Parts: sequence; C-alpha cells; structure tokens
Amino acid sequence: MKLNWFARKGIIYWPVSVIGWVILVLAGAYAVYTFIDIDSRSHSGSDTLISFVFNLLLIGLVYTIIGYFTERRVD
Amino acid sequence: MKDKDEFLKQMENLQVPDINPHDHPQLVKMAIMNAGRSAALGVWLIMVPCYFLFCVFMYYYFHANISWFEAMFRLVVSLDNNKYIDFLAPIILIVLPIIAIIINALAITHVGYQRLGPDHGKVSEFIITVKIKPLNILLILISLVIIGLFIGFAMTESISIKN
Repeated sequence: MKLNWFARKGIIYWPVSVIGWVILVLAGAYAVYTFIDIDSRSHSGSDTLISFVFNLLLIGLVYTIIGYFTERRVD
Repeated sequence: MKDKDEFLKQMENLQVPDINPHDHPQLVKMAIMNAGRSAALGVWLIMVPCYFLFCVFMYYYFHANISWFEAMFRLVVSLDNNKYIDFLAPIILIVLPIIAIIINALAITHVGYQRLGPDHGKVSEFIITVKIKPLNILLILISLVIIGLFIGFAMTESISIKN
C-alpha cells in the first residue's frame, strides 16, 4: 500500500497531504506541551532548554521515521 | 534485381559496432536501500546522541575540576530523572547509531557472488563493492565513534563500580 503523505527535501520531510499536515500539527502541539510541562518542573532556563531540546529531537526523529515510511516516491 | 544489388551492397558496407569483450561482464550494482533516504534518516538518528555528547562536552568544559567520565556520568543520571527519556537512554545512545550504521551501510554496499570462468576450476568469488557516498560514509563513521564512546563509558563505569 502506498502512502503519499510526505515529500523529502534534504533531511526534512514536508507534508503533501491532509494526513501529513495533521501529523505535523500534532507533533508541533506535543512539542509545545512538553515545553510547558518541562518548564513548570525545571529550576532554571538552561535546565528547561536542555531537557526540551532532547524531547524536540526525539519528536523530530519520530516524525522523520513516519515520513520515511510514508514518503511519496516516483517509481 | 537492381534494388537487390543495392540492398546487398548497403548490407556489406554496414558499420559493425566495435565490442570490447573485457567490458561485457560489467553489471549494474544496485544497493539495497536508497542512499539519499538513508542519509536523511541517519542524520536524525545520530542527532540525539550527538546532542547528548555536546551536553557532556559543555558540562566538562564549564566545570574545571571534573573529568570527562564524571561529566558523562552526571548527565546520564540527569537523563534518568527526566520522565520522558529515562527508559529511552540506552536505546537513544546505542541502538539509534547502530540502526544508522545498518541503513547507511546497506545504501552504499553491493554484495555479489560470482563463479569464475573455466580457467579457474571451481573457484568462486564473493564480491563486496562499496560506493563512495561521502555523506553516508561520514554518518557511519560518526555512529561508530558514538558507539565506541558509549561502550567505553559503560566499561569504565562497570570497572569503577567493581573496584
């Protein structure tokens, strides 16, 4: 089954369908949620940023894995 | 009759392509995975461990009386305190670079098996070809360095705990 949800430009997967955009928006919303959650528990700005960047990279990794398997390919 | 003679004359004057018999055995060496896609995913796979190592470096750099090992140890402990990534630490730091190595290696290598001609008896060749794709090779090397660092850290930690 071909899922043409994303198109790759360099190392970034851009959505090319409604489902792709929904996934991108969900990833962004989850990133904002983790930032607010981490910020409420951390003791300093650097503490927040260090933990948040870890989470942001993990969210980016999961998003990229989804994009990798649902990429639009020209046969 | 005249047409037939002309046709025969044309056939006799046809240019025959010059074939070099040594070029004939060449084959298309297809890799298992696409190099561009593997490089894109590989970059994301090693980004997290690279960021961790960057944090270790910064911690080491800004704390004068601390060793590299201690800096790494403290950051691993701080990872355990983060509820989102505590159980992910070994996966992030070891498994992701291994996956990056595998997908990039599959994208640049071609493995073939070939029987040699009758002059060589029953001898066969196992041929491994590596395509020179700088980004894929760089990602493999960075992943190997990351894995080496974490294995070294784990061994040092194990030895120091025993002592």
